[in-house]
Amino acid sequence: MQFKIDTRPLPIVILARWWRFPVFALLNFSLYYLHSQGPPDGLSPQGYNALLVFLACIFLWVTQLLPMPVTGLFALIAPSLLGVVTLKDAFSFFGSEPVFFIMGVFILATALYVSGLSTRMALYLLKSGAKSPKRLIFQVMLTAALLSFIMSEHAVAAMMFPLLVIITKRLAPSPQSTSYSRILFLAMAWGCVIGGIATMLGGARVPLAVGLLQEAGYGTITFVQWSTAMFPIVIVLFGFCYFLLTRFYPIEIDTVGEVDAVIDQQIRDCGRLVLEEKFLGFLLLCTIAAWIFWGAQLSMAAISILAVVLLFMFRVVPWRQIQEKMEWGVILMYGGAIAMSSIMNSTDAGEWFTRTLVVPYIGSPWTLVILLSLVTMAMTEALSNSAVVAIVVPLGMSIAKQFGLDPKVVVYAVASASSMNYVLPMSTPAVAIGYSSGFLKIREVILPASIMWIVSWATLMLVARFWWPVLGVHIGG
Amino acid sequence: MNIALLKLQLFYSGIRAGQNLPSPLANPFGLVHLVLPEGVSVSVHLNENGTESPFTLRKDGAQFLLDIAGSDPVPVEWTPPLQSYQQKTSSGVLVSDILTVHGDFIAVHPTHACRFGQSGLSCRYCGSSRDISQHPPFTPRDLVEAIQIVEQEKRCDLVSLSSGRVDTPDGGVERLEKWVTEIRKHLNVLIALDLVPPATNDWIDKTYAMGVDALYYDSDFFNPNDEPRKDFEKHKSRQLEALAYASLIFPTGAVLSHLVIGLEPLEETRASIDLLIDRGVVPVPAYFPPYDGSTLRNRWTATPEEAKSIYAHLYERLVRTRINPHWVQQYDVVLTALEGRFFSNESPRYHLKLKNFYETGFGRSVRFSMARLRRHLRVVPV
Repeated sequence: MQFKIDTRPLPIVILARWWRFPVFALLNFSLYYLHSQGPPDGLSPQGYNALLVFLACIFLWVTQLLPMPVTGLFALIAPSLLGVVTLKDAFSFFGSEPVFFIMGVFILATALYVSGLSTRMALYLLKSGAKSPKRLIFQVMLTAALLSFIMSEHAVAAMMFPLLVIITKRLAPSPQSTSYSRILFLAMAWGCVIGGIATMLGGARVPLAVGLLQEAGYGTITFVQWSTAMFPIVIVLFGFCYFLLTRFYPIEIDTVGEVDAVIDQQIRDCGRLVLEEKFLGFLLLCTIAAWIFWGAQLSMAAISILAVVLLFMFRVVPWRQIQEKMEWGVILMYGGAIAMSSIMNSTDAGEWFTRTLVVPYIGSPWTLVILLSLVTMAMTEALSNSAVVAIVVPLGMSIAKQFGLDPKVVVYAVASASSMNYVLPMSTPAVAIGYSSGFLKIREVILPASIMWIVSWATLMLVARFWWPVLGVHIGG
Repeated sequence: MNIALLKLQLFYSGIRAGQNLPSPLANPFGLVHLVLPEGVSVSVHLNENGTESPFTLRKDGAQFLLDIAGSDPVPVEWTPPLQSYQQKTSSGVLVSDILTVHGDFIAVHPTHACRFGQSGLSCRYCGSSRDISQHPPFTPRDLVEAIQIVEQEKRCDLVSLSSGRVDTPDGGVERLEKWVTEIRKHLNVLIALDLVPPATNDWIDKTYAMGVDALYYDSDFFNPNDEPRKDFEKHKSRQLEALAYASLIFPTGAVLSHLVIGLEPLEETRASIDLLIDRGVVPVPAYFPPYDGSTLRNRWTATPEEAKSIYAHLYERLVRTRINPHWVQQYDVVLTALEGRFFSNESPRYHLKLKNFYETGFGRSVRFSMARLRRHLRVVPV
């Protein structure tokens, strides 16, 4: 076991290690106090209790006092303990369709990763980049973005990271290559972020937001609808990001010819394409096609679970590997978030909260969209984007309803904004992985990242204004 | 009668056996356990020559009395030798071949004899008064069983494991690790290690993290018997650095270093005490006058009267620097720093109350819990 001895004064050590306990005590006391005060006018006791649990969950998700999946479990049982719903009903919310869709998507993405197929795809996509320094930057961005269309962005970053480390080591002898290495890692991180917006598979936040919409009874957004709404944003951001990276940082090397040899070596190390990988690729294409063409008629969750069943029927990957590599806790977190949101909607809590505390300060639907997208983007720089979706979407839908606005707009705006994080390492795992290379320093990244942030938000607003109405999604106001 | 002075005189002269005494009077190592007035424990050797010692232990009815030539007798308590010493572990090893008990303190040499044992000198402190090579080998499991056997008979708070004389960079930690692990796994006691200061500080971190509560460092640059090393100054500097670092890692007062009184001028001993206390280390001056008939007896320079000033100085410095003296508990073969109060006018402040509290069952639990809690807080997995 690796350890260090904390030699700071003991009171400071105690405070640093145990600050959670007094905070928990304070949280419990506050909840008890508020509970004993009874509901305000216009809110039912059930709604009041649901609101208290929701606020507690927000607090726990934001502070991460508990692991996020554990807060998800808390969200599942707390309302029934306070008499808001029965325990049976609360558990049934957890078994909702979006949870199984997310689970299926995660299993498929994990299979792609453990089989090595995603690495092989990345290598072939990168191979043509060894022609010039700029071309390599483009190719790294493109690879990261394209792979993030079909797998979660953090898995793509984790997979590409070792490849880029090998490439930058080969380029590293000259001091000039440090600047170039920085660009490559930013290209990877931001490529993942931008690509992750394009489809529902780039991360679980979009399925979560759609799940919240569905459970609230406002219909659904299909795979095609989402991607169609987001594609202009992805194209614009991809182009601008490439422009920014190649103009902002100096490219002081003339050739990246050595990279060709590195990639060739890596491809040789992968060996030949085996039957399992071919089948997995085929299965993935079929699954995406099914989501596109039959996602509305069949259930998205049913298609993804069917793909998983086929995966194991043909023994493409061993179950043990999936079990070890997959982040099962995310399922608990999302299940809890969806249950919490459903409970808020089944009572009058969400509506009362937004009607009393938010709506009076918002002038029009456009103000709402601007506010939600800005708040979401700001929050996701510091918090898990899934937690932000779980917090903002239910409230946003309640407010939208009171403005007569289609709640789908909230899902589009919040879920896409929650993906747009470029600045801080804690914003998203892809950016954190980029920082872990050691080539990125916040002070050197903050300016271009802030430009990306502003351009992303502006692009989102422009697309919402001019493109979404074409698809039948109107904001009005 | 100054009780601390009496204790030193008993170390110096031993006692003679008087009338009506029970048998066996001494433990297997030839020591008689007595408790003097004010609860001061002492293990005193039975002076079999019977000529030099002015002290005679006798029994009058139910009471034990210590007759002192030229003074009134002093009532004392006699502690019978532990019966546990005669018991065996499940693998057949005699408990007295595994450990020695001093008050609430158990001394063990699991692998090697202490320096005195190795040099053939008799050690009153750690039980290697007999040649270690005669001891049958025993395992960590045997040690745990032996401690459990002793605990059934009397309370023991601290187990001290000695690495013996080593010349490895770790100072002997590695060879004791499996013993510490086994004790931690089965017993609720404090553990001290008797080591040589290691070559690098990470060994000190490891020692604390593996569950050790206190360190007794054998800082050999104090030892006047050793041949001077070529790199003496560098060696001394490193050992002092290790002592200072250890006092940052371990609880206050839990890093101790032995000093032997009487084999060097007392002024040098006093300077060594200051050197250690300045680094947060508690000196444990061992007053082990060689027994009558030993060749070293003539080299001995410190009579009990002369040694008084050393203990007074030690006590006063510890009180002023607020270094906790409680890791030397019930140490019946040395005069503890706290017992130095009998030679000083300084108030023991809260130390005496705390010592009495730690001797209660509740105090023991608090002390153990605090030691565990401190380790839990200080050792951070990375």
